[in-house]
Amino acid sequence: MALVLGIETSCDETAVGIVDDHKLLANVISSSVDQHVRFGGVVPEVASRAHLEAMQQVIKQALTDASVSIKDIDAIAVTAGPGLIGALLVGVSSASALALALDKPLYGVNHLSAHIAVDQLNNSDQLHPAIALLVSGGHSSILQVNNLATDVIVKGATIDDAAGEAFDKIARLMGLGFPGGPLIDKEALKGNKTEINFPRGLTAPGDLENHRYDFSFSGLKTAVARYLAQTPNYKKADVAASFQEAVVDVLINKSLTACKESGIDKLIIAGGVAANHRLRELAKQRCESAKIQFRIPPANLCTDNGAMVAALGSLAINEGVAASEIGISADSAAPVTQVVWK
Amino acid sequence: MSTVLAIDTSTSQTCVALVENGKVLFNKSHLDPLAHGEILPKLVAQALKLNSKIDLVAVGMGPGPFTGLRVGITFAQSYALAASINWVGVCSLDAMAANIGEKDFIVSTDARRKERYWARYKNGIQITEPAVSKGIELEKFGVKIFEEGKYFPEAVAIANLGLNSSSVTEPIYIRKPDAYPLPDGVKFRAMSALDLVSAVGIEKDVYGKAAWSSAQFKEEFAKAPKNANYLAAEVDGELVGYAGIYFAADVADIHTITVVENHRRKGIGRELLKRMIDWARVKTADAIMLEMRLGNDQARPLYEHYGFVEISKRENYYGPGLTAVVMRKELK
Repeated sequence: MALVLGIETSCDETAVGIVDDHKLLANVISSSVDQHVRFGGVVPEVASRAHLEAMQQVIKQALTDASVSIKDIDAIAVTAGPGLIGALLVGVSSASALALALDKPLYGVNHLSAHIAVDQLNNSDQLHPAIALLVSGGHSSILQVNNLATDVIVKGATIDDAAGEAFDKIARLMGLGFPGGPLIDKEALKGNKTEINFPRGLTAPGDLENHRYDFSFSGLKTAVARYLAQTPNYKKADVAASFQEAVVDVLINKSLTACKESGIDKLIIAGGVAANHRLRELAKQRCESAKIQFRIPPANLCTDNGAMVAALGSLAINEGVAASEIGISADSAAPVTQVVWK
Repeated sequence: MSTVLAIDTSTSQTCVALVENGKVLFNKSHLDPLAHGEILPKLVAQALKLNSKIDLVAVGMGPGPFTGLRVGITFAQSYALAASINWVGVCSLDAMAANIGEKDFIVSTDARRKERYWARYKNGIQITEPAVSKGIELEKFGVKIFEEGKYFPEAVAIANLGLNSSSVTEPIYIRKPDAYPLPDGVKFRAMSALDLVSAVGIEKDVYGKAAWSSAQFKEEFAKAPKNANYLAAEVDGELVGYAGIYFAADVADIHTITVVENHRRKGIGRELLKRMIDWARVKTADAIMLEMRLGNDQARPLYEHYGFVEISKRENYYGPGLTAVVMRKELK
């Protein structure tokens, strides 16, 4: 049993989580999203300043919530990439200081893998092997997870926009605001998802040959933009629902194909977009009929948080992975296959 | 008994010192403007081998390039939190001035973008608050200037000041984040043939004889989306501005950025320019070029802010006697 404190600062959330092996003890998030709304997107310098301002308070609050003293912590885990470099550096520097002051091991971990590791909180079912669909503002990939701490293979990824990015852009086109994911999700609840038949990217026979597990959302984005330009009195709710259906449909279909073709009967969906209602609902239905075991974290743990980082740190310890060296480099473009920093 | 761990990451150097009752146990620095995050923990780990019982953490609060500066500050604060001790912030320029024995002088550090962070000292006391200016402005004071490179904020001085002066509690950024709000009520979208009538009207108002015709716009649109990108800005359904960029081989060329007179100075041109630059990056262009008319160059500071540099002038470019200024921004 190990008490792990996890720090996440890769984008606009300053977050600290504390776990005791699989048990979630604290999950504190301070978001600077409100400060970015008027810019229509996350501004790296604004996010980094907010991280520095919030960091100490968020650590203290997490310790209070978990009812533990900082001296009780056995290991520190931190997101070392991918993400905004200036933002990552606040978390990595803070975590390095904690590890040195406490004389405890530091685990620099991958933000994307952490999204999957959150599945292990309050759940001791074996995680891997599994196919993981990772969908967020910056990433959309299908992974084969043989061992989350040591062996992850990328089966496919987006060749242009990430799914979350597409949500942001369509929301902006319709004047719904930022961030787009939750706003489209909400708008779509009032709309008809079969009203407009938007294209499903990379599903034509030729594309399935060359991009079997890859995604593309730029054609969909253009199709929606064209529809909006040509339809003077369009209904926002119908566009939102139809657009969302096109995204979700492809995400799930390709993930299930990956499950079948790799002979793995478990699908985990993770990342910020996994909080989307329609994705959760449709994935559950299709996994049931395909007899694939389906796992998805609770919606509040899908978006960026510190508990997921602590969960991955805890998993790395349990898998016997060596701690990171002092002075790890934050890597804004770390590949998903780099799970724990050396 | 008091042992101070002192840190400064406000310049291209990372400095760490360990001072025990006035005695310097450890004092090391490493020059690398991009490696504060990796170097700082390594130096601190070395220092802690000599004495790991720290009573106070002192840290340089800047001014300095933001990303490196935050590494030192967040490290100091978190170390203090974990060790249940206090931290104290010091103006980094004060630490740099501490070892200079002049009566009246300026210390200055690299603020990037061809500017300097600086403060002036008389008889050992800071008499102007830290500021950021062009280097040439500092020479006007006519006092000796001590610059980063030969001088640095020494960690030992940070430790001494930390023990003796009042704490600076906030990072000294001086500059605001490089971000601007989206212009209010303005919608940005792809430009289409439906905009032609309005666009040609705007062209005549803004450019007179050099105005583009409808046919010229159509020719440009035909290259989109592969080799060109044309964006429109509208307010209440009315076209108020547009911009277009062309890219074929290595260098992208901004063909127009136009905003109608009564909607200028609202950030519309800035947003259009930013989106043109973003598009060129996505297309992996090596550089972006643009031309603007000499004498009609209100937008020049905006272009310079985004890294465009004048590379040449072309006479009679827009017609007899009308000279174009050619600007270029490197992307690689």
